[in-house]
Amino acid sequence: MRGRIPLLIVAIVALAALLLPPFLPWTHSAIDWEAVRAPLFSAGHLFGTDTVGRDLLARTLVGTRVTLAVALAAALVALVIGTIWGAIAGWVGGRTDEIMMRIVDGLYALPFMFVVILLMVVFGRNIVLVFIGIGAVEWLTMARVVRGQVIALKERPFVTAAEAAGTPPSRILTGHILPNVAGVALAYLLLTVPQVVMVESFLSFLGLGVQEPLTSLGILVKEGADDMDLQPHALLIPGGVLVLIIVCLTIAGERLRDRLSR
Amino acid sequence: MSLYAVRNLRVEIGDATVVEDVSFTVDAGDCVALVGASGSGKSQTCLAPFGLSPGIAAGSALFDGTELIDLDTAQLRAIRGRDTGFVFQHPLTALTPHLTIGAQLAEARQLGGAAPPRRDAMIAALERVGLDAPRERLDQFPHRLSGGQRQRALIAMAIAHTPKLLIADEPTSALDAELRVEIMALLDTLRREEGLALVLVSHDLAAVAQHADTIVLLRDGKAIEDGPAKTTLAAPVSTYGRDLVAATPLLSDPPPNLPETGAALLVATDIGVTFPKPGWRKGRVAAVSDASLSIREGEALALVGGSGSGKSTLARAIARLGPVDSGRVEWRGEPLPERKRMTPDHRRLIQPVFQDPAASLDPQWRVSDIIDEPMRHLRPDLAEWNRVGMVKQVLREVDLPPGFADRFPRELSGGQAQRVAIARALVAEPEMLLLDEATSALDILVAGRILDLLEKLQHERNLALLFITHDLAVAKRLCHRIAVMEAGHIVEEGPAERIIASPAHPVTQRLVAASKS
Repeated sequence: MRGRIPLLIVAIVALAALLLPPFLPWTHSAIDWEAVRAPLFSAGHLFGTDTVGRDLLARTLVGTRVTLAVALAAALVALVIGTIWGAIAGWVGGRTDEIMMRIVDGLYALPFMFVVILLMVVFGRNIVLVFIGIGAVEWLTMARVVRGQVIALKERPFVTAAEAAGTPPSRILTGHILPNVAGVALAYLLLTVPQVVMVESFLSFLGLGVQEPLTSLGILVKEGADDMDLQPHALLIPGGVLVLIIVCLTIAGERLRDRLSR
Repeated sequence: MSLYAVRNLRVEIGDATVVEDVSFTVDAGDCVALVGASGSGKSQTCLAPFGLSPGIAAGSALFDGTELIDLDTAQLRAIRGRDTGFVFQHPLTALTPHLTIGAQLAEARQLGGAAPPRRDAMIAALERVGLDAPRERLDQFPHRLSGGQRQRALIAMAIAHTPKLLIADEPTSALDAELRVEIMALLDTLRREEGLALVLVSHDLAAVAQHADTIVLLRDGKAIEDGPAKTTLAAPVSTYGRDLVAATPLLSDPPPNLPETGAALLVATDIGVTFPKPGWRKGRVAAVSDASLSIREGEALALVGGSGSGKSTLARAIARLGPVDSGRVEWRGEPLPERKRMTPDHRRLIQPVFQDPAASLDPQWRVSDIIDEPMRHLRPDLAEWNRVGMVKQVLREVDLPPGFADRFPRELSGGQAQRVAIARALVAEPEMLLLDEATSALDILVAGRILDLLEKLQHERNLALLFITHDLAVAKRLCHRIAVMEAGHIVEEGPAERIIASPAHPVTQRLVAASKS
């Protein structure tokens, strides 16, 4: 049970972010003209308000929701592309493997931030672009991990036995290899989510990510940082949620990975 | 008084008692052997009193006048470093990969409390254990050494501080027959010349009978029988002891009753297999060159040789389960297609069973699906309900209850998993089984039962066997003929009786000599 605590914390935060906002008196973008820069625990605003009087509790919850949604979607995209790419490279092997993995190396070498900023300049600010930019980088690690697993599994006697049993190669890949890769892929999915949370928050902090009036933890941290001499909690609360999510998911992912790679 | 006396030893790990009421003594220059199946508590018995296992030891373990049980960690460490040496089973994992042999040897001495040794003293220490070119070895990293060389280096480290007691936990199990003999001889020399006492953990009864003075048979953590090694093994009193001895095939066993052989089944001519050189180097290394062999209906051929001699590579090339560069394979006079062109009808003919039963079953699949897989692809004539019945039937044939069909591989013991692997090989109704060290990873008793099962199948199904092994005694028990491999070549081939009685090639002679001891 103790090992599940990190995941439990993330689940509680995610559920709160998903379910609570409709029940709050304020939305994330509504302005309370009566209470600009309200302090912590003031009436109607549990976490206070920001410099223009928007409720910080609602903003933190919605920001968490957006950040987690972007992270999960990008991680899933990374999982799908990475698994397919890595599995094909590992399974086919030889020259195909060489070419596919050199492409991965090439993409790794691209300065990621530079590419995202260029995309923004050319196509304008757009959350979909952020998403594509993140997804394009995060699948690379997944592809390497899956390829390594596939190559290791390919040498296992049960795969040779399946070949002797007349199982066609495509069926060996889907029936024997991929199910045995799934555990490790899931562990790396768990590790990818906090990385994407970081990247998304970073982009939003720079003003390149999610755009107003929508918010994310990165935007909240940025706004809180601008106002931190007067209202430190406006930085500490979203920042704390961000750290909590990243730490918990990383611990959970590493634990799962260690258990599977025993 | 004995150098090391263990009395009523009890070891607990968590709530489980893994060793109970085990007693033995060993004097300087003597060797006591702990023998038993895996999980019988052999290793715990030797490691726990020295604080080298997670187990908590109780009872008494008197070493050179000091009681080890409940001794504090610092004192235990001092005794371990000064007076005892340890040799473990896997020479690869027991050496630190990033330190040179010399650095590790120097560390072993210093932990014993001595000053850092001079270079010539270290060279002498490596010479002592018979390591060739000791001068160069000092500066080499473990990966440059072969398995036997690593085990010698480990022994050099274990005796670097001239301990009084050496604890060797399966020191030869990971080595091939020739190296086993050499390492055991080295341990004998050390006992004789330096009065070293030896606690030997082993499952190799032949080696124990030859080298140990006393023997303790362990089962489920309890001492079943003990006494002088030779007499105990010659005439064991306990049923367990008798089973162990009966399950160990010996070269001196009477010739087995083998089934009649029929027409030529498989003829492989001039098989060659090469692999690309590792790393960035150009060119290829030959793993098998110009190997030819043939098998008749119902005939068993043993492919024998040291590790790395190309046995498995050759067998896989023939069965079209591995790469092959040259040569022809004919099945009843028809050429067998290359690996990618094998039809289900061809695949059905030869079915493999591998060494490691745990790794040869997909951990995600149930036993029923594992056994069903070959039928699904190779026996399109069978309807699904028919196949379900076949699974039950074949499980019975390999002596497993039908209820095992619902289990996952992790719920099987090693012997059970190997039976499932054999069942999977049988359901397609092959004409030949390829057994790649099929009993080497199993305990004596379990391996003995698997050999019984193979013998039964040989008679009932008239199966041809290609039996890869490094153990001539096992080969003799099942096989009509023996082919000996060395460095990718078949150096000698002939009837099993003839090969064992009068080996012609030096490699065969060494193998036979190693198996006799």
